[in-house]
Amino acid sequence: MKIDEKIVSYFESCDSPVDKEGYLYKKGEIKTSYQKRWCVLKGNLLFYKERPSDRDLIGVIVLEGCTVQLCESEEQFAFSLVWSDPGLRTYKFAAEDETSQESWIKALLSANHNYLALLVTDMENKYKGEIKTLCVFICVGEKEDALFWRAAVRCIASLFAAAYQIPSLAVVTGTTGIRSPKLRHKGNANVLPISAPALPVGERSGICLGKEEFSKLHEDFGKEVKELIAEWSKQRRGGAAAQEENLIDFG
Amino acid sequence: MRFNEKELVSLSRQPSEMAAEMGMRGPKKGDVLKKRLVKLVVNFLFYFRTDEEEPIGALLLEQCRVQKEDNQSFSIAYMDEAERKYLFECGSEEQCQKWIDSIVKASYEFMRKNLIYYRTEIHRLTGKDPLEQYGISEETRFQVTNGMQFMPRDTSSL
Repeated sequence: MKIDEKIVSYFESCDSPVDKEGYLYKKGEIKTSYQKRWCVLKGNLLFYKERPSDRDLIGVIVLEGCTVQLCESEEQFAFSLVWSDPGLRTYKFAAEDETSQESWIKALLSANHNYLALLVTDMENKYKGEIKTLCVFICVGEKEDALFWRAAVRCIASLFAAAYQIPSLAVVTGTTGIRSPKLRHKGNANVLPISAPALPVGERSGICLGKEEFSKLHEDFGKEVKELIAEWSKQRRGGAAAQEENLIDFG
Repeated sequence: MRFNEKELVSLSRQPSEMAAEMGMRGPKKGDVLKKRLVKLVVNFLFYFRTDEEEPIGALLLEQCRVQKEDNQSFSIAYMDEAERKYLFECGSEEQCQKWIDSIVKASYEFMRKNLIYYRTEIHRLTGKDPLEQYGISEETRFQVTNGMQFMPRDTSSL
């Protein structure tokens, strides 16, 4: 079976993260004596060469399907990479001291692809669990204001979606089906977080955040909204100086 | 360059969701499209002659760019070299997109970046490091250092 060596070499030499590197004594594949090798662990690949500055690799070991074990050896601080299926080999190594031995064994044990895949899935689920519950921001306002606030809330919504990288974020605006609270004139609209059981829960119709989260985002996006308010007010009042609105105080 | 061939061949026999026959063209000038069984296992793409047990070759899916080409094809390119661009022709556009997504997500480095992202976000949202419960928060593998780890390279003084 061929392996594109240049690709593999390139991966070793590029600046992707190195999980561990250092000298190890490796039992020869042809000669059975232990030879000092500079080893570089990146992901699930263990590269080895004579010296750190060498451009050419002597070889690479793909760390899939093996276990890392302490082994009996004439050499001190030895350990081995063992493939248990018949016909497959064992690589023997010896470290320079106990600390190095422990550290290498630990690093190699968790070098396989599945280990990382499981961790990522776990983290992804935890993350999604933190961003749960559905809540829809509905804007209620005077007819003229409704258009403006729809635009403003869409802006906030897309900033939310971008910041949290949550797909399919949509915001329902307008007054359909909701009883309007008492409104004040002069462009003051109320933005109320309301849970909306009427919406199909299957589609992510919005996001709800904890109090602290919302306050922070409220401030952050407030700047954008303030600018929008100023602009629209200017347009409506025909160029007269826009009164800067305060952000809604949520207490 | 030596590598653990037998063990890699053994890896290629692992069951995989992403295994299909498709047209494959090698990177060199003059390479033609050939029917191959292409199989994705961890971060390797193995390719076989149909009905053969041992793969012809293995492609490491790290530091590569996977792109959609026209029709139902995608390419995997390395080091921005024209001489290192492999082309694959799928049966449908849907299949093509599925392969592109799977290959991108199979990269160890891609997975690592995701892990670091989720770790950071969960920490930010909850104030707790989610890796602590596993006792692995100190592992070099998962450290956040401007998205890239810095390790002293070429330290010949060692």
